[in-house]
Amino acid sequence: MEWLLELLQILIFPGIVFAIVLAFVYEWFDRKIYAKLQNRVGPLYTGKSGILQPFADFVKLLAKEDITPGEVDKPLFNALPIVALTLSLMGFLALPITGLRGIISFNGDLIFLIALMTLICIVIIYSGISSSNRFSTVGAERAALQLLGYEIPMMLSAISIGILAGSMWVYDIVNTQVSGIWFLVGPSILGFAIFVLCGQAELERIPFDIPEAETEIVAGWLTEFSGKKLALFRLTKDVELLYLSGLAVALFLGGPSGPVISGLEPILYPIYFLLKTLFVLFLLTTLRALFARLRIDQMVNFSWKYLVPLAILQVLLVRVIV
Amino acid sequence: MMNLVKWARLRSPWLLHFNTGACNACDIEVLAALTPRYDLERFGVLLKGSPRHADVLVVTGPVTRQVRDRLLRVYNQMPDPKFVVAVGTCCISGGVFNGCYNVYSGLDSVIPVDAYIFGCPPKPEAIINGVAALLKKLEES
Ligand code: SF4
Repeated sequence: MEWLLELLQILIFPGIVFAIVLAFVYEWFDRKIYAKLQNRVGPLYTGKSGILQPFADFVKLLAKEDITPGEVDKPLFNALPIVALTLSLMGFLALPITGLRGIISFNGDLIFLIALMTLICIVIIYSGISSSNRFSTVGAERAALQLLGYEIPMMLSAISIGILAGSMWVYDIVNTQVSGIWFLVGPSILGFAIFVLCGQAELERIPFDIPEAETEIVAGWLTEFSGKKLALFRLTKDVELLYLSGLAVALFLGGPSGPVISGLEPILYPIYFLLKTLFVLFLLTTLRALFARLRIDQMVNFSWKYLVPLAILQVLLVRVIV
Repeated sequence: MMNLVKWARLRSPWLLHFNTGACNACDIEVLAALTPRYDLERFGVLLKGSPRHADVLVVTGPVTRQVRDRLLRVYNQMPDPKFVVAVGTCCISGGVFNGCYNVYSGLDSVIPVDAYIFGCPPKPEAIINGVAALLKKLEES
Protein backbone atom coordinates (compact mmCIF):
# COMPACT_ATOMS: atom_id res chain seq x y z
CA MET A 1 0.00 0.00 0.00
CA GLU A 2 2.89 2.27 0.82
CA TRP A 3 4.16 2.36 -2.75
CA LEU A 4 0.67 2.99 -4.13
CA LEU A 5 0.28 5.99 -1.87
CA GLU A 6 3.65 7.27 -2.93
CA LEU A 7 2.80 6.81 -6.59
CA LEU A 8 -0.43 8.73 -6.13
CA GLN A 9 1.49 11.46 -4.37
CA ILE A 10 3.91 11.80 -7.24
CA LEU A 11 1.29 11.61 -9.98
CA ILE A 12 -1.67 13.48 -8.55
CA PHE A 13 -1.39 15.40 -5.30
CA PRO A 14 0.90 17.22 -4.66
CA GLY A 15 2.62 15.88 -7.75
CA ILE A 16 2.40 16.24 -11.48
CA VAL A 17 -1.33 16.80 -12.09
CA PHE A 18 -1.51 19.30 -9.24
CA ALA A 19 1.56 21.11 -10.60
CA ILE A 20 0.12 21.39 -14.08
CA VAL A 21 -3.30 22.61 -12.96
CA LEU A 22 -1.71 25.08 -10.59
CA ALA A 23 0.68 26.26 -13.32
CA PHE A 24 -2.29 27.11 -15.54
CA VAL A 25 -4.04 28.94 -12.74
CA TYR A 26 -0.90 30.89 -11.94
CA GLU A 27 -0.40 31.91 -15.54
CA TRP A 28 -3.96 33.18 -15.53
CA PHE A 29 -3.35 35.08 -12.29
CA ASP A 30 -0.17 36.54 -13.73
CA ARG A 31 -1.90 37.69 -16.89
CA LYS A 32 -4.85 39.10 -14.98
CA ILE A 33 -2.70 41.13 -12.60
CA TYR A 34 -0.51 42.27 -15.47
CA ALA A 35 -3.59 43.45 -17.33
CA LYS A 36 -4.97 45.19 -14.23
CA LEU A 37 -1.72 47.10 -13.85
CA GLN A 38 -2.00 48.20 -17.47
CA ASN A 39 -5.58 49.34 -17.00
CA ARG A 40 -7.04 46.41 -18.93
CA VAL A 41 -9.15 43.46 -17.90
CA GLY A 42 -7.11 40.64 -19.42
CA PRO A 43 -8.60 37.25 -20.35
CA LEU A 44 -12.32 37.44 -19.70
CA TYR A 45 -14.54 35.11 -21.71
CA THR A 46 -12.78 31.76 -21.46
CA GLY A 47 -14.31 30.16 -18.40
CA LYS A 48 -15.13 32.27 -15.38
CA SER A 49 -13.20 35.56 -15.78
CA GLY A 50 -10.93 33.83 -18.24
CA ILE A 51 -9.50 31.29 -15.82
CA LEU A 52 -9.43 28.62 -18.52
CA GLN A 53 -7.44 30.83 -20.93
CA PRO A 54 -4.03 29.17 -20.41
CA PHE A 55 -5.68 25.76 -20.73
CA ALA A 56 -7.36 26.80 -23.98
CA ASP A 57 -4.02 28.06 -25.33
CA PHE A 58 -2.42 24.78 -24.36
CA VAL A 59 -5.08 22.60 -26.02
CA LYS A 60 -5.03 24.73 -29.13
CA LEU A 61 -1.26 24.45 -29.43
CA LEU A 62 -1.43 20.69 -28.89
CA ALA A 63 -3.91 20.38 -31.75
CA LYS A 64 -1.88 22.48 -34.15
CA GLU A 65 0.45 21.23 -36.83
CA ASP A 66 3.87 20.44 -35.43
CA ILE A 67 6.48 21.60 -37.92
CA THR A 68 10.01 20.28 -37.81
CA PRO A 69 11.95 22.53 -40.16
CA GLY A 70 14.38 20.80 -42.50
CA GLU A 71 17.53 22.42 -41.20
CA VAL A 72 17.15 21.68 -37.49
CA ASP A 73 19.01 19.11 -35.44
CA LYS A 74 16.08 16.68 -35.28
CA PRO A 75 16.81 14.51 -32.23
CA LEU A 76 17.66 17.51 -30.05
CA PHE A 77 14.85 19.64 -31.41
CA ASN A 78 12.26 16.95 -30.67
CA ALA A 79 13.59 15.87 -27.29
CA LEU A 80 14.34 19.20 -25.63
CA PRO A 81 10.75 20.34 -24.90
CA ILE A 82 10.11 17.09 -23.01
CA VAL A 83 13.41 17.34 -21.14
CA ALA A 84 12.64 20.90 -20.10
CA LEU A 85 9.19 19.99 -18.80
CA THR A 86 10.57 16.99 -16.91
CA LEU A 87 13.22 19.11 -15.24
CA SER A 88 10.78 21.74 -14.08
CA LEU A 89 8.32 19.13 -12.79
CA MET A 90 11.13 17.41 -10.93
CA GLY A 91 11.93 20.68 -9.20
CA PHE A 92 8.31 21.05 -8.20
CA LEU A 93 8.29 17.59 -6.59
CA ALA A 94 11.07 18.65 -4.23
CA LEU A 95 9.12 21.59 -2.80
CA PRO A 96 7.51 21.25 0.61
CA ILE A 97 3.75 21.59 0.09
CA THR A 98 1.65 19.18 2.10
CA GLY A 99 4.24 18.85 4.83
CA LEU A 100 7.59 20.25 5.77
CA ARG A 101 9.28 17.88 3.33
CA GLY A 102 8.81 17.59 -0.40
CA ILE A 103 8.22 14.24 -2.09
CA ILE A 104 11.84 14.13 -3.16
CA SER A 105 13.82 15.31 -0.17
CA PHE A 106 17.36 14.53 0.81
CA ASN A 107 20.23 16.17 2.60
CA GLY A 108 21.72 18.86 0.39
CA ASP A 109 18.79 19.14 -1.99
CA LEU A 110 19.07 22.94 -2.13
CA ILE A 111 22.09 22.50 -4.38
CA PHE A 112 20.09 20.09 -6.53
CA LEU A 113 17.23 22.59 -6.83
CA ILE A 114 19.49 25.43 -7.88
CA ALA A 115 21.27 23.16 -10.34
CA LEU A 116 17.93 22.21 -11.88
CA MET A 117 17.27 25.83 -12.73
CA THR A 118 20.64 26.13 -14.43
CA LEU A 119 19.90 22.91 -16.32
CA ILE A 120 16.63 24.34 -17.63
CA CYS A 121 18.55 27.35 -18.85
CA ILE A 122 21.05 25.08 -20.58
CA VAL A 123 18.18 23.23 -22.25
CA ILE A 124 17.00 26.62 -23.49
CA ILE A 125 20.44 27.41 -24.88
CA TYR A 126 20.52 24.05 -26.66
CA SER A 127 17.06 24.46 -28.08
CA GLY A 128 18.03 27.82 -29.49
CA ILE A 129 21.13 26.43 -31.11
CA SER A 130 19.48 23.26 -32.39
CA SER A 131 16.89 25.33 -34.29
CA SER A 132 19.61 26.56 -36.69
CA ASN A 133 17.76 29.81 -37.08
CA ARG A 134 19.60 33.09 -36.84
CA PHE A 135 17.10 34.53 -34.38
CA SER A 136 17.14 31.42 -32.24
CA THR A 137 20.91 31.43 -32.17
CA VAL A 138 21.02 35.05 -31.05
CA GLY A 139 18.40 34.23 -28.43
CA ALA A 140 20.45 31.29 -27.18
CA GLU A 141 23.57 33.42 -26.95
CA ARG A 142 21.70 35.99 -24.95
CA ALA A 143 20.29 33.32 -22.68
CA ALA A 144 23.82 32.07 -22.02
CA LEU A 145 25.12 35.55 -21.30
CA GLN A 146 22.19 36.25 -19.02
CA LEU A 147 22.85 33.00 -17.16
CA LEU A 148 26.34 34.31 -16.37
CA GLY A 149 24.72 37.42 -14.97
CA TYR A 150 22.05 36.12 -12.62
CA GLU A 151 23.26 32.71 -11.58
CA ILE A 152 25.94 33.73 -9.10
CA PRO A 153 23.94 36.27 -7.06
CA MET A 154 21.07 33.79 -6.96
CA MET A 155 23.29 31.03 -5.63
CA LEU A 156 24.87 33.37 -3.10
CA SER A 157 21.50 34.42 -1.74
CA ALA A 158 20.44 30.78 -1.46
CA ILE A 159 23.72 29.94 0.25
CA SER A 160 23.24 32.73 2.77
CA ILE A 161 20.00 31.03 3.75
CA GLY A 162 21.89 27.77 4.02
CA ILE A 163 24.32 29.42 6.43
CA LEU A 164 21.49 30.85 8.51
CA ALA A 165 19.85 27.47 8.86
CA GLY A 166 23.15 25.65 9.20
CA SER A 167 22.14 23.16 6.52
CA MET A 168 21.67 22.85 2.77
CA TRP A 169 18.56 20.74 3.21
CA VAL A 170 15.29 22.48 2.37
CA TYR A 171 13.58 20.47 5.12
CA ASP A 172 16.01 21.84 7.72
CA ILE A 173 15.66 25.35 6.37
CA VAL A 174 11.87 25.23 6.65
CA ASN A 175 12.10 23.62 10.06
CA THR A 176 14.38 26.34 11.41
CA GLN A 177 11.86 28.93 10.28
CA VAL A 178 8.96 27.07 11.84
CA SER A 179 10.66 27.03 15.23
CA GLY A 180 12.06 30.57 14.87
CA ILE A 181 11.03 33.38 12.59
CA TRP A 182 10.87 33.64 8.82
CA PHE A 183 14.17 34.37 7.19
CA LEU A 184 12.54 37.19 5.28
CA VAL A 185 12.34 39.16 8.50
CA GLY A 186 15.73 40.56 9.39
CA PRO A 187 18.94 40.46 7.42
CA SER A 188 17.64 38.24 4.66
CA ILE A 189 15.33 40.79 3.13
CA LEU A 190 18.19 41.79 0.86
CA GLY A 191 18.67 38.16 -0.08
CA PHE A 192 14.97 37.87 -0.87
CA ALA A 193 15.11 40.90 -3.17
CA ILE A 194 18.13 39.47 -4.98
CA PHE A 195 16.48 36.07 -5.25
CA VAL A 196 13.28 37.49 -6.73
CA LEU A 197 15.17 39.67 -9.22
CA CYS A 198 17.33 36.77 -10.33
CA GLY A 199 14.23 34.60 -10.50
CA GLN A 200 12.72 37.09 -12.88
CA ALA A 201 15.83 36.78 -15.03
CA GLU A 202 15.71 32.99 -14.82
CA LEU A 203 12.11 33.01 -16.02
CA GLU A 204 13.00 35.43 -18.81
CA ARG A 205 10.26 37.86 -17.95
CA ILE A 206 10.34 41.62 -18.41
CA PRO A 207 12.74 43.42 -17.68
CA PHE A 208 14.96 40.41 -18.36
CA ASP A 209 13.13 38.93 -21.35
CA ILE A 210 16.20 39.68 -23.45
CA PRO A 211 16.56 36.14 -24.88
CA GLU A 212 13.07 36.25 -26.37
CA ALA A 213 12.76 39.95 -27.10
CA GLU A 214 10.07 39.86 -29.76
CA THR A 215 10.73 43.36 -31.06
CA GLU A 216 14.34 42.54 -31.86
CA ILE A 217 14.74 38.85 -32.51
CA VAL A 218 11.21 37.58 -33.36
CA ALA A 219 10.75 35.17 -30.45
CA GLY A 220 14.37 34.41 -29.61
CA TRP A 221 15.19 30.79 -28.91
CA LEU A 222 11.51 29.87 -29.22
CA THR A 223 11.18 31.10 -32.81
CA GLU A 224 11.14 27.76 -34.61
CA PHE A 225 8.99 25.83 -32.16
CA SER A 226 5.38 25.30 -33.12
CA GLY A 227 2.42 23.18 -32.05
CA LYS A 228 3.10 20.58 -29.37
CA LYS A 229 6.66 21.66 -28.72
CA LEU A 230 5.65 25.23 -28.13
CA ALA A 231 2.86 24.03 -25.83
CA LEU A 232 5.36 22.03 -23.79
CA PHE A 233 7.76 24.96 -23.56
CA ARG A 234 5.00 27.28 -22.41
CA LEU A 235 3.95 24.76 -19.81
CA THR A 236 7.58 24.46 -18.73
CA LYS A 237 7.74 28.20 -18.21
CA ASP A 238 4.55 28.11 -16.14
CA VAL A 239 5.71 25.23 -13.97
CA GLU A 240 9.04 26.97 -13.56
CA LEU A 241 7.27 30.12 -12.42
CA LEU A 242 5.41 28.08 -9.86
CA TYR A 243 8.55 26.24 -8.84
CA LEU A 244 10.55 29.41 -8.40
CA SER A 245 7.92 31.11 -6.29
CA GLY A 246 7.60 27.90 -4.28
CA LEU A 247 11.35 27.86 -3.70
CA ALA A 248 11.36 31.50 -2.63
CA VAL A 249 8.57 30.66 -0.18
CA ALA A 250 10.48 27.68 1.20
CA LEU A 251 13.69 29.66 1.62
CA PHE A 252 12.41 32.99 2.86
CA LEU A 253 8.77 32.75 3.91
CA GLY A 254 8.81 29.66 6.07
CA GLY A 255 7.57 27.17 3.47
CA PRO A 256 4.02 25.93 3.91
CA SER A 257 4.00 26.54 7.64
CA GLY A 258 1.67 28.86 9.49
CA PRO A 259 -0.69 28.82 12.44
CA VAL A 260 -2.20 25.32 12.43
CA ILE A 261 -4.82 23.44 14.35
CA SER A 262 -3.22 20.10 15.10
CA GLY A 263 -4.51 17.30 12.90
CA LEU A 264 -5.46 19.65 10.07
CA GLU A 265 -1.93 20.19 8.75
CA PRO A 266 -2.38 18.33 5.43
CA ILE A 267 -5.24 20.68 4.54
CA LEU A 268 -3.88 23.91 5.95
CA TYR A 269 -0.31 23.55 4.64
CA PRO A 270 -1.26 23.58 0.93
CA ILE A 271 -3.47 26.60 1.58
CA TYR A 272 -0.61 28.50 3.19
CA PHE A 273 1.61 27.40 0.35
CA LEU A 274 -0.85 28.81 -2.19
CA LEU A 275 -1.23 32.11 -0.37
CA LYS A 276 2.50 32.63 0.00
CA THR A 277 3.35 31.65 -3.57
CA LEU A 278 0.62 33.95 -4.83
CA PHE A 279 2.28 36.75 -2.89
CA VAL A 280 5.65 36.05 -4.53
CA LEU A 281 3.97 35.74 -7.91
CA PHE A 282 2.31 39.10 -7.33
CA LEU A 283 5.74 40.64 -6.73
CA LEU A 284 7.09 39.04 -9.90
CA THR A 285 4.14 40.28 -11.95
CA THR A 286 4.44 43.80 -10.58
CA LEU A 287 8.10 43.84 -11.58
CA ARG A 288 7.08 42.69 -15.04
CA ALA A 289 4.55 45.47 -15.41
CA LEU A 290 6.73 48.23 -13.97
CA PHE A 291 9.82 47.94 -16.10
CA ALA A 292 10.80 47.96 -19.74
CA ARG A 293 13.27 45.54 -21.22
CA LEU A 294 16.96 46.11 -20.54
CA ARG A 295 19.65 45.58 -23.10
CA ILE A 296 21.80 42.51 -22.57
CA ASP A 297 24.91 44.57 -21.71
CA GLN A 298 22.93 46.64 -19.22
CA MET A 299 21.63 43.47 -17.60
CA VAL A 300 25.05 41.86 -17.21
CA ASN A 301 26.55 45.15 -16.06
CA PHE A 302 23.79 45.60 -13.50
CA SER A 303 24.17 42.15 -12.07
CA TRP A 304 27.97 42.27 -11.81
CA LYS A 305 28.14 45.82 -10.53
CA TYR A 306 25.29 45.70 -8.05
CA LEU A 307 23.73 42.27 -7.58
CA VAL A 308 26.93 40.29 -6.99
CA PRO A 309 28.44 42.73 -4.44
CA LEU A 310 25.09 42.96 -2.68
CA ALA A 311 24.82 39.19 -2.59
CA ILE A 312 28.31 38.95 -1.10
CA LEU A 313 27.37 41.58 1.45
CA GLN A 314 24.33 39.47 2.30
CA VAL A 315 26.50 36.41 2.91
CA LEU A 316 28.85 38.48 5.10
CA LEU A 317 25.95 39.90 7.12
CA VAL A 318 24.57 36.44 7.71
CA ARG A 319 28.03 35.18 8.63
CA VAL A 320 28.38 37.93 11.26
CA ILE A 321 25.02 37.13 12.79
CA VAL A 322 25.39 33.36 12.98
CA MET B 1 -12.50 15.59 -28.22
CA MET B 2 -13.03 17.54 -31.44
CA ASN B 3 -15.37 19.83 -29.56
CA LEU B 4 -12.70 20.58 -26.99
CA VAL B 5 -10.17 21.41 -29.70
CA LYS B 6 -12.68 23.63 -31.47
CA TRP B 7 -13.50 25.39 -28.22
CA ALA B 8 -9.81 25.99 -27.58
CA ARG B 9 -9.22 27.24 -31.10
CA LEU B 10 -12.04 29.73 -30.88
CA ARG B 11 -10.74 31.10 -27.64
CA SER B 12 -7.12 31.62 -28.39
CA PRO B 13 -6.49 33.15 -31.81
CA TRP B 14 -2.93 34.47 -31.90
CA LEU B 15 -2.23 37.14 -34.45
CA LEU B 16 0.69 37.80 -36.71
CA HIS B 17 0.67 41.22 -38.27
CA PHE B 18 2.17 41.55 -41.73
CA ASN B 19 2.50 44.76 -43.72
CA THR B 20 2.58 44.10 -47.45
CA GLY B 21 3.03 47.73 -48.40
CA ALA B 22 0.37 49.65 -46.49
CA CYS B 23 0.54 53.41 -46.10
CA ASN B 24 0.83 52.72 -42.35
CA ALA B 25 -2.63 53.95 -41.45
CA CYS B 26 -4.02 50.43 -41.43
CA ASP B 27 -1.08 49.26 -39.31
CA ILE B 28 -1.75 51.96 -36.77
CA GLU B 29 -5.38 50.91 -36.57
CA VAL B 30 -4.45 47.25 -36.10
CA LEU B 31 -2.10 48.23 -33.29
CA ALA B 32 -4.75 50.52 -31.83
CA ALA B 33 -7.06 47.52 -31.64
CA LEU B 34 -4.47 45.79 -29.47
CA THR B 35 -4.03 48.64 -27.00
CA PRO B 36 -5.55 48.66 -23.50
CA ARG B 37 -8.50 50.70 -24.71
CA TYR B 38 -9.89 47.80 -26.73
CA ASP B 39 -7.96 45.06 -24.94
CA LEU B 40 -8.25 42.15 -27.34
CA GLU B 41 -6.72 39.86 -24.73
CA ARG B 42 -10.23 39.57 -23.32
CA PHE B 43 -10.90 37.16 -26.17
CA GLY B 44 -7.55 35.43 -25.76
CA VAL B 45 -5.99 37.32 -28.66
CA LEU B 46 -2.23 37.79 -28.39
CA LEU B 47 0.15 39.39 -30.84
CA LYS B 48 2.97 37.00 -31.72
CA GLY B 49 6.26 37.75 -33.40
CA SER B 50 6.98 34.40 -35.00
CA PRO B 51 4.87 32.90 -37.81
CA ARG B 52 5.38 29.51 -36.18
CA HIS B 53 3.35 30.58 -33.17
CA ALA B 54 0.51 32.37 -34.94
CA ASP B 55 -2.95 31.23 -36.03
CA VAL B 56 -4.25 34.30 -37.80
CA LEU B 57 -2.27 36.27 -40.35
CA VAL B 58 -3.44 39.88 -40.37
CA VAL B 59 -2.37 41.47 -43.65
CA THR B 60 -2.52 45.20 -44.30
CA GLY B 61 -1.88 47.07 -47.51
CA PRO B 62 -1.72 46.29 -51.22
CA VAL B 63 0.36 43.22 -52.10
CA THR B 64 3.31 44.51 -54.07
CA ARG B 65 5.40 42.39 -56.41
CA GLN B 66 8.36 42.91 -54.10
CA VAL B 67 6.63 41.51 -51.05
CA ARG B 68 4.81 38.58 -52.65
CA ASP B 69 7.55 36.03 -52.08
CA ARG B 70 8.05 37.10 -48.48
CA LEU B 71 4.32 36.94 -47.86
CA LEU B 72 4.18 33.44 -49.28
CA ARG B 73 7.15 32.41 -47.15
CA VAL B 74 5.58 33.73 -43.97
CA TYR B 75 2.28 32.09 -44.89
CA ASN B 76 3.95 28.76 -45.50
CA GLN B 77 5.81 28.97 -42.22
CA MET B 78 2.59 29.10 -40.23
CA PRO B 79 1.39 25.76 -38.85
CA ASP B 80 -2.08 24.48 -39.82
CA PRO B 81 -4.88 25.38 -39.20
CA LYS B 82 -4.17 28.95 -40.22
CA PHE B 83 -6.41 31.82 -41.22
CA VAL B 84 -5.87 35.02 -43.12
CA VAL B 85 -7.60 38.34 -42.53
CA ALA B 86 -7.30 41.12 -45.10
CA VAL B 87 -7.46 44.53 -43.46
CA GLY B 88 -8.21 47.65 -45.46
CA THR B 89 -9.41 48.33 -48.96
CA CYS B 90 -5.91 48.16 -50.43
CA CYS B 91 -5.46 44.67 -49.16
CA ILE B 92 -8.85 43.50 -50.38
CA SER B 93 -8.69 44.81 -53.93
CA GLY B 94 -5.64 46.98 -54.33
CA GLY B 95 -7.73 50.04 -53.49
CA VAL B 96 -6.41 53.29 -54.93
CA PHE B 97 -3.37 51.40 -56.16
CA ASN B 98 -5.43 48.96 -58.19
CA GLY B 99 -4.01 48.71 -61.68
CA CYS B 100 -0.56 49.91 -60.75
CA TYR B 101 2.21 47.99 -62.48
CA ASN B 102 3.73 46.84 -59.19
CA VAL B 103 0.63 45.84 -57.24
CA TYR B 104 -1.54 42.72 -57.25
CA SER B 105 -5.26 43.26 -57.32
CA GLY B 106 -6.11 41.94 -53.89
CA LEU B 107 -4.61 39.60 -51.34
CA ASP B 108 -6.81 36.70 -52.47
CA SER B 109 -4.99 36.53 -55.78
CA VAL B 110 -1.91 35.45 -53.81
CA ILE B 111 -3.08 33.46 -50.77
CA PRO B 112 -6.53 32.23 -49.64
CA VAL B 113 -8.32 34.76 -47.43
CA ASP B 114 -10.87 33.95 -44.72
CA ALA B 115 -12.15 37.38 -43.72
CA TYR B 116 -12.20 40.85 -45.24
CA ILE B 117 -12.32 44.08 -43.26
CA PHE B 118 -13.34 47.13 -45.24
CA GLY B 119 -12.27 50.71 -44.66
CA CYS B 120 -9.49 53.08 -45.50
CA PRO B 121 -8.33 52.62 -42.83
CA PRO B 122 -10.85 50.49 -40.90
CA LYS B 123 -11.56 51.53 -37.33
CA PRO B 124 -10.30 49.31 -34.52
CA GLU B 125 -13.92 48.36 -33.84
CA ALA B 126 -14.21 47.15 -37.42
CA ILE B 127 -11.06 45.06 -37.02
CA ILE B 128 -12.41 43.48 -33.86
CA ASN B 129 -15.67 42.85 -35.66
CA GLY B 130 -13.74 41.20 -38.49
CA VAL B 131 -11.89 38.91 -36.14
CA ALA B 132 -15.17 38.08 -34.42
CA ALA B 133 -16.71 37.29 -37.81
CA LEU B 134 -13.80 34.98 -38.56
CA LEU B 135 -14.31 33.20 -35.25
CA LYS B 136 -18.03 32.84 -35.94
CA LYS B 137 -17.29 31.33 -39.32
CA LEU B 138 -14.94 28.91 -37.61
CA GLU B 139 -17.55 27.97 -35.07
CA GLU B 140 -20.07 27.11 -37.78
CA SER B 141 -17.64 25.12 -39.90
S1 SF4 C 1 -6.57 50.88 -47.08
FE1 SF4 C 1 -6.20 53.07 -46.91
S2 SF4 C 1 -5.25 53.27 -44.93
FE2 SF4 C 1 -5.10 51.15 -45.47
S3 SF4 C 1 -3.13 50.92 -46.45
FE3 SF4 C 1 -4.61 51.33 -48.07
S4 SF4 C 1 -4.57 53.53 -48.38
FE4 SF4 C 1 -3.58 53.11 -46.39
